[in-house]
Amino acid sequence: MTGAGVFFQLLINGILFGSMYGVAAIGLSLIFGSMEIIFIAQGSVMILAAYGTYFLFNMAQFDPFFSLILVLPGFMLLGFVLFMALFRRKDGLNKYSSLLVAFGLMILLENLMSVLWTPDTRAVITSYTGQALSFWGLDISITRLLVFGLSILATLAVSLWLRLTLMGNAVRAAIENPQAAALMGIKTPRVKAITFAIGIALAGLGGTATAASYSFDPTFGFLFSLKALIAVALGGIGSVTGALLGGIILGVLESAGAYLFTGVWAHAVSYIVFLLVLMVKPEGLFMKRTRSA
Amino acid sequence: MLQIEKLNIFYGDAKAIKDLSITVKEGTLAALVGANGAGKTSTLLAVAGLIRPRSGKIAFKGQTINGLPPEEIVERGISLVPEGRWLFTKMTVAENLRMGGDASRARKDSVDSMEYVLQLFPALKSRYRMSAASLSGGEQQMLAIGRALMSKPHLLMLDEPSLGLAPLVVETVFEVIQRLHDEGVTILLVEQNVRESLQLAQKAFVIKTGTLTLSGTGADLLENPDVQKAFLGIGKDLS
Repeated sequence: MTGAGVFFQLLINGILFGSMYGVAAIGLSLIFGSMEIIFIAQGSVMILAAYGTYFLFNMAQFDPFFSLILVLPGFMLLGFVLFMALFRRKDGLNKYSSLLVAFGLMILLENLMSVLWTPDTRAVITSYTGQALSFWGLDISITRLLVFGLSILATLAVSLWLRLTLMGNAVRAAIENPQAAALMGIKTPRVKAITFAIGIALAGLGGTATAASYSFDPTFGFLFSLKALIAVALGGIGSVTGALLGGIILGVLESAGAYLFTGVWAHAVSYIVFLLVLMVKPEGLFMKRTRSA
Repeated sequence: MLQIEKLNIFYGDAKAIKDLSITVKEGTLAALVGANGAGKTSTLLAVAGLIRPRSGKIAFKGQTINGLPPEEIVERGISLVPEGRWLFTKMTVAENLRMGGDASRARKDSVDSMEYVLQLFPALKSRYRMSAASLSGGEQQMLAIGRALMSKPHLLMLDEPSLGLAPLVVETVFEVIQRLHDEGVTILLVEQNVRESLQLAQKAFVIKTGTLTLSGTGADLLENPDVQKAFLGIGKDLS
């Protein structure tokens, strides 16, 4: 492969892989916006969805992408139930205890999945897994391309929902100024429940995408949460397209890091960039500096 | 319509409001005046449900409302235009107004309310699709008032609506307040512009360090030597 060929192949791999971080990051960003907690269990919920897709494929011959028609509503419902059970308190659960609850949920899910389904690495192998489109000397995996398309669709759907619907507008209002939103009559507990449910549904989408295109095991969750968090920081909190772009940038960095450096140093690249962004432009790469009005 | 009885508000150990009792009758334009830090804003925030009084009672149309969350209080027909406006600056003018009409009781009339607000503030019409952050100070205040009106309040509370505005814009704001009052909205106004608000108000309350010190008609208070000395710069003793 020529130098340019390697460059473009790495770029494409990074973009396709990063879009998965992006989907997880959008959910994380929405949940952070409305509830002010880092939902650290986001990655573990993703892996739970990955198992869902895996079992639907192996036991019921569901195509992994087709399994979304069950995973998406199922995880939205799961999100709603989790919110009602863990985060809804009339007297307002303190932010720090909410973070601890999220942390506990992550540990619980991780261990539960290991106990129930063993810590073995799993992968969904369909007839088209491993097939690639080839042109100009580049190989593009079909599953990863489909995952990328889904990520774009999900981002678009969430953006349009936030922009065009009354409920979506209420979510944006509550994220920007919860007190002002309450003065408008916006029911903030309902807004939180809905954003949380959507965030979890996005984790479900990310999980199905993971299962469809990569191998996974129960401990992948924490790493995904961490990467999604970096993607959110790169893109700027509260921005949906920013979160997707942040994920894609992270994916590209990692794919370049994995090529240029070996072993653990490959991971260091993304963390170094993360630190640099926090130091130089903490509001995120795509955010205008906020001014108070 | 609004009855506040023996209200006590604390911030930590600091007492902001002490045994405050005021009544605003339906259809009146009432003003709450006092120096900075007297507790005017605290009173309005407590009525709106954003801060919880330590003791006392707030009743609206005969029903106790203290302890209710702010979104419930809006449903009862009280709307607050907070000091500093609290606009959603990442949203457009239209979206801000739509949010104002999000309360269940106002939703079915939101199209009419929107039309009403836009004819009340024609300047907002031309800014309809623009970001709220791009508006001038006066336009932002009009948007804040318009947004509060979208919930079709029976009691409208305004906290320092003229603060930081150019004199001409201040006039417009007071005209609008007068007009709303003429249309039957009960109004509770907090203003640093004491002369103007007493001229407008049928009933006024003077509070000092969290306690009611004087009340009467706006006209009476304008003639009151203590008020003149403290707020209007009239009288020999300037200390």
